[in-house]
Amino acid sequence: MMGARVDHFFSAVQAILNGLLTGSLYALIGMGMALIFGVMRIVNFAHGAFLMVGMYATYVLFQRTGLNPYFGFIVAAIQLFLLGYLFYWGLLKRIQGQSDFMQILLTLGFGLILTDGTQLLFGADYHQINLVLLGKNLHLGRQISLNAPWLISFGIALALGALLYFFVMHTMLGRAARAIAQNPYAAPLMGINVHRVQAFSFGIGAAAAGVAGGLLLPVFYLYPTVGDQFTLKAFVMVVLGGMGSIQGAAMAGLVLGVVENLTSLYWGNEWALAVDFVLFLLVLSLRPSGIFGSQRV
Amino acid sequence: MRSAHASTVAVLAFALAFTGCRGGGERKGEVSGNKIRIGVITSLTGSTAAFGQAHKNGYAIALDELNSRGGLLGKAVELDYYDDQSRPDQAVQGVSKLVDQDHVPIILGAYSSENTRAIVPAVTQKQVPLLMPTATADNVMQSGSSWTFRICAGSGAYANTTVSFLKDMGAPKKIAIIYENTNFGQSNAQAMLEAAKQAGIEVVDSEAYQASSPDYKTLLQRVKAKNPPVIYFASYLLDASTLMRQAEQVGLNPAYYTSAGTGFAAAEFPTPDKGAGRNAEYTFSVSQWLPSAKWKGSKEFDDKYLQRTGSHPAYHAMEAYITLLAAAEAIKKANSTDPQAIRDALRQLDMPETAFGAIRFDSTGQNKHPVLITQVQGGQYKVVWPVDAAESKPIIPTPPWNRR
Repeated sequence: MMGARVDHFFSAVQAILNGLLTGSLYALIGMGMALIFGVMRIVNFAHGAFLMVGMYATYVLFQRTGLNPYFGFIVAAIQLFLLGYLFYWGLLKRIQGQSDFMQILLTLGFGLILTDGTQLLFGADYHQINLVLLGKNLHLGRQISLNAPWLISFGIALALGALLYFFVMHTMLGRAARAIAQNPYAAPLMGINVHRVQAFSFGIGAAAAGVAGGLLLPVFYLYPTVGDQFTLKAFVMVVLGGMGSIQGAAMAGLVLGVVENLTSLYWGNEWALAVDFVLFLLVLSLRPSGIFGSQRV
Repeated sequence: MRSAHASTVAVLAFALAFTGCRGGGERKGEVSGNKIRIGVITSLTGSTAAFGQAHKNGYAIALDELNSRGGLLGKAVELDYYDDQSRPDQAVQGVSKLVDQDHVPIILGAYSSENTRAIVPAVTQKQVPLLMPTATADNVMQSGSSWTFRICAGSGAYANTTVSFLKDMGAPKKIAIIYENTNFGQSNAQAMLEAAKQAGIEVVDSEAYQASSPDYKTLLQRVKAKNPPVIYFASYLLDASTLMRQAEQVGLNPAYYTSAGTGFAAAEFPTPDKGAGRNAEYTFSVSQWLPSAKWKGSKEFDDKYLQRTGSHPAYHAMEAYITLLAAAEAIKKANSTDPQAIRDALRQLDMPETAFGAIRFDSTGQNKHPVLITQVQGGQYKVVWPVDAAESKPIIPTPPWNRR
């Protein structure tokens, strides 16, 4: 009887740890989305497509040069930053001042182009990579085991999340972004170049999605529409985190990861996704400012 | 106000683009010029695209054979593909497009059970015969429609064969079922629940999952806690690979990994580049056909497939191949491209010797097809049961991960 209780305890601990590992990647995706939402007030429907492009970029590097994805993601981040930055200057900026709805449609369209473009280039077939690392596990006692690739991506995601937080809170550019988020009309009067800051934020947001894609590559597989599910999840995190708060979105990512895994443990995997949206609806209706307060960016 | 107007226009434009509003005539079975067009719905893109590509290769080989023999009714045969993007709503769109616009007299498809079930009402309403190559969920044949025919064996046959095999091996007392939560997985899980109950095997756990998830560790942990000697999977390919990789991470060690084919029987599954690699070793699967099958033409099909794609086919490609040949035979027998005449010919169809065994449809439209059990041994699928068809002995129990 005692033994069974101990087993239950360790299953829960294991599920929570797994949740944190997955959640750290969610957090990166959510932070990128939140940054964009914070400074531009739009939902970036191309977010999942950015993640997918990050995966393909890391994949191509690995295939062509043998560069390990845990370094390759840096290249993907730079590429995605440029992609996001140029997308802003080339397309998004042109329709600034029109309704938010138009901008959202534009991101949706751009996401479709990225997905279909990838399909043209690489085909609809799926790919995966095999790192030796995948078979390595860290054992904590007899009960708990953690898979090496997930642990590494957790470490990287944590470090980058902290860096992103530092950037927003403590750099000039970050302060400018927060100023725009607080009041988009007053910010330019204070001498802030709104377009430059928004373009930069969009680039950083896209890069965060790209990094998450690169880190997911070793443990997942890729095909052109693989990112779709993450767009919705990122939106859920933005809402849970308080509509544009990046630390809120980061926390929301970790919470989602843990809640999904606990749901999976106690009710079954098929309910995991449903719980995301139940949480989403509850927060929207009971606490629209998000679980973690209301500060934006 | 102006921008609100513009948004409305944009939304309408989008809606139009997505629904693809096009007019279509009512004539059916029209033959365009000197060609006979046969409609095909399959998943060329999306999450089950690997199987759609296998379909496409199988169809292409059959098409080459047909046309090199002079086509049908003196006309060349042409395939009219509709990619359902692995989504049921798109498969339904496919029926409208193929029938209303292209006037095909018969449709082959779809790939998945989910998408196939979705198109059954549409073909029934439009009165066009549907020939199913690979949908194993038995509910695709339970609509009562007189327009549906199925080449492959279904979920009931899968579960019963697996249970017979287990009984033959010493009848383990418990089983856990892990299945993807669309029509394919649900039907196969349900069929196993019933088959196990009848055989007196206790189902200690039944776990549904979302096939697109990157992480099944917690699910596998739940199963591990129940310590079942047998696991029965109903999985597509990408999830099958992820499940088997993570089974090692979790240290899940049943004596038997069994499965309802599909992902666990795909040609890619035992390969390291596109599947579970060494983690596929020792897994059992039901199978409908293998290149080593005794039926005449199996070897030839294998050769042609290898030449075309550089890899050996799994049964999904064979089923597509035979589906097109059966459709062609029915059109020939009907001596017409009228959908109703083709349906009636399908009912009477008798092809005693094909590379997939005999093809005959019973009164419900089902082709009786035997099911084998295979095991991955040395990276290859080997038939291990029934004994008279076995190429190799089953390796039981599955060695634990830390002693492989």
